[in-house]
Amino acid sequence: MQPQVARGIADTATARKPSEASTRTRRQGGRGWSYTLTSWLGLVPFLLFCLLFEIFPAIIIIQGSFTDNNTGAATLDNYRHMFSQASNLHAFQTSISISIVTALLGGVIGGFAAYGVYNLRTGWLRNFLIGFSSIAANFAGIPLAFAFIATLGVKGFVTVAILNWFHANLYDLGFSIYQFWGLVIVYTYFQLPLMILVTLPALSALRPEWREAATNLGASNFTYWRRVGLPILLPSLIAATMLLFANSFGAFATAFALAQGNINLVPILINYVVNGNVTIDFGLGNALAVGMIIVLLVAVSLYTAMLRRVNIWQGR
Amino acid sequence: MSIGGTSTGIAHRAPTDVYSPRKYKPTGRRVFGLDKIALTLVMLYLLIPLGATLWFGLNTGNGFDLSSYQRIFSDPDFSQTIITSLELAIGATILVVVLVTPTAYWVQLRIPRARPLLDFLSLVPFAMPAIILAVGLVQEYSGTANPLIGYLSLGLVPVLSKNFNIVNTPPLLVCAYVIIALPFVYRPIDNSLRAINTTVLTEAAYSLGSGWWRAFLTVILPNIWPGIISAALLTFSTVMGEFTIAQLFSIYTFPIFLNNVGQEDPHRAASLAILSFILTLICVLSIILLVRRRPAGLGKDGQVEIGTAK
Repeated sequence: MQPQVARGIADTATARKPSEASTRTRRQGGRGWSYTLTSWLGLVPFLLFCLLFEIFPAIIIIQGSFTDNNTGAATLDNYRHMFSQASNLHAFQTSISISIVTALLGGVIGGFAAYGVYNLRTGWLRNFLIGFSSIAANFAGIPLAFAFIATLGVKGFVTVAILNWFHANLYDLGFSIYQFWGLVIVYTYFQLPLMILVTLPALSALRPEWREAATNLGASNFTYWRRVGLPILLPSLIAATMLLFANSFGAFATAFALAQGNINLVPILINYVVNGNVTIDFGLGNALAVGMIIVLLVAVSLYTAMLRRVNIWQGR
Repeated sequence: MSIGGTSTGIAHRAPTDVYSPRKYKPTGRRVFGLDKIALTLVMLYLLIPLGATLWFGLNTGNGFDLSSYQRIFSDPDFSQTIITSLELAIGATILVVVLVTPTAYWVQLRIPRARPLLDFLSLVPFAMPAIILAVGLVQEYSGTANPLIGYLSLGLVPVLSKNFNIVNTPPLLVCAYVIIALPFVYRPIDNSLRAINTTVLTEAAYSLGSGWWRAFLTVILPNIWPGIISAALLTFSTVMGEFTIAQLFSIYTFPIFLNNVGQEDPHRAASLAILSFILTLICVLSIILLVRRRPAGLGKDGQVEIGTAK
């Protein structure tokens, strides 16, 4: 053991000949414990940072959801409170449905659009579309909300255009950018380009040989997609849709600027509960946050599980 | 989807393509299939709001002029919040790159076993959106004693919150932004590191007599520059647009100014939205231009990762 330890220390202290060191230690069957220790020590700054600003806040949220605001005693009251108010449950319902609708809209239309980009033969157009998609996917939050007020608000460009051309007032017809379907339209704006960006690499993994083989065996275009193309793409598509779901489920700024609290979404509710002018109830806020985390965990675990399957197919 | 048969595809292919198998895609013979229609619709969907916003900002009710832009630029709050946001963005960008790059390299070189841990830590922000992170941070550093966290952090959290009083301060905001940026900073940097042969390069540098830091700074860093640039610019663009946490911390940043303006004057807000679009445009264009020059570490499609300032 002794030479190994010495080796390890020398290795990290001067770091001169690790190749020689590694072959020697490998022959001796594993590295010294101090080598392992210094290896882990190099991670300390990053891990400490993540603990302080990422893991501890999560622990506090979970712990706080089971704690009474005033006495600090363990309690289930926050959850009881959450489930007893219809508006809380309604917020979850709205948040989940808006995320499902925009994830599916973005997933299906964006998936087709991604296939369109994949089929493009003009290089500059392809690069332009990919570049534009990354800009649009990053153009979200407050500016996006005001862009849509300028487009589909009461006096927005498109609203006015439709009024002038078709003599129909969208707002008389029951449409409003400040309501559920309006928010769906706004969220879809960042979902579509995100779907294109996430799906393109998956599409590039489809090998032309597979289609050739299918065609040689007599498969029609439809059969190829049903039996070969879609089954291979499916994990990537599901993973991408889960990403879109999580993306819109956690979105706060866009909805906040657009509806100024008129739409009852979970993130808006949490902000209202912990940051409101009337009362501040961190316990309820924490319980709502835990509810959100649970929903998101489902999406994220599906996402990672699907990515693992993708990696099998792409042989990584 | 618009797919002609492969056999006819070969006959119709342009002669140059016959010799370049990479370009050969036996699909899309028809000029306009479902995919092209979807693509066109999506692009219209993405472009119309931009055009409408530009129009809306220039239209003051009685004709078109630049008065809303003039009012924005003469507003002292505009320059003040832009400077605040720039400081936060530069701080978060530098901190996240300095924190993640050596760590990712170290893990690649010395403890590949720890990779799942880093993957996990960079995945957590997906399940913990900005609003939750902010609520957690406010409670963690509020100064009320939390024995569990005090114990777990070996007394560090109480010191930070009581002696340094960091709750709702710009430094804590920068730290929160670093966490938000983790998913799209760690991945491109890690991918770039995997694309080059880190171990061989490092050992070559060692054998020529350089130490760890010198190998990292002069050999590894220049090779993964594209990944770092795209990660940094995405962080920058995300922080410039981040509203949720700043709002909860009551720090007056550019997006908050934008929100306040929007409540009173949608025309000026539209012009501000155009300005922040241009800012995003500059960031993404710089990624594309700077990264294109050195192809190492690029994604398959020259793809730019996506920020999350929703």
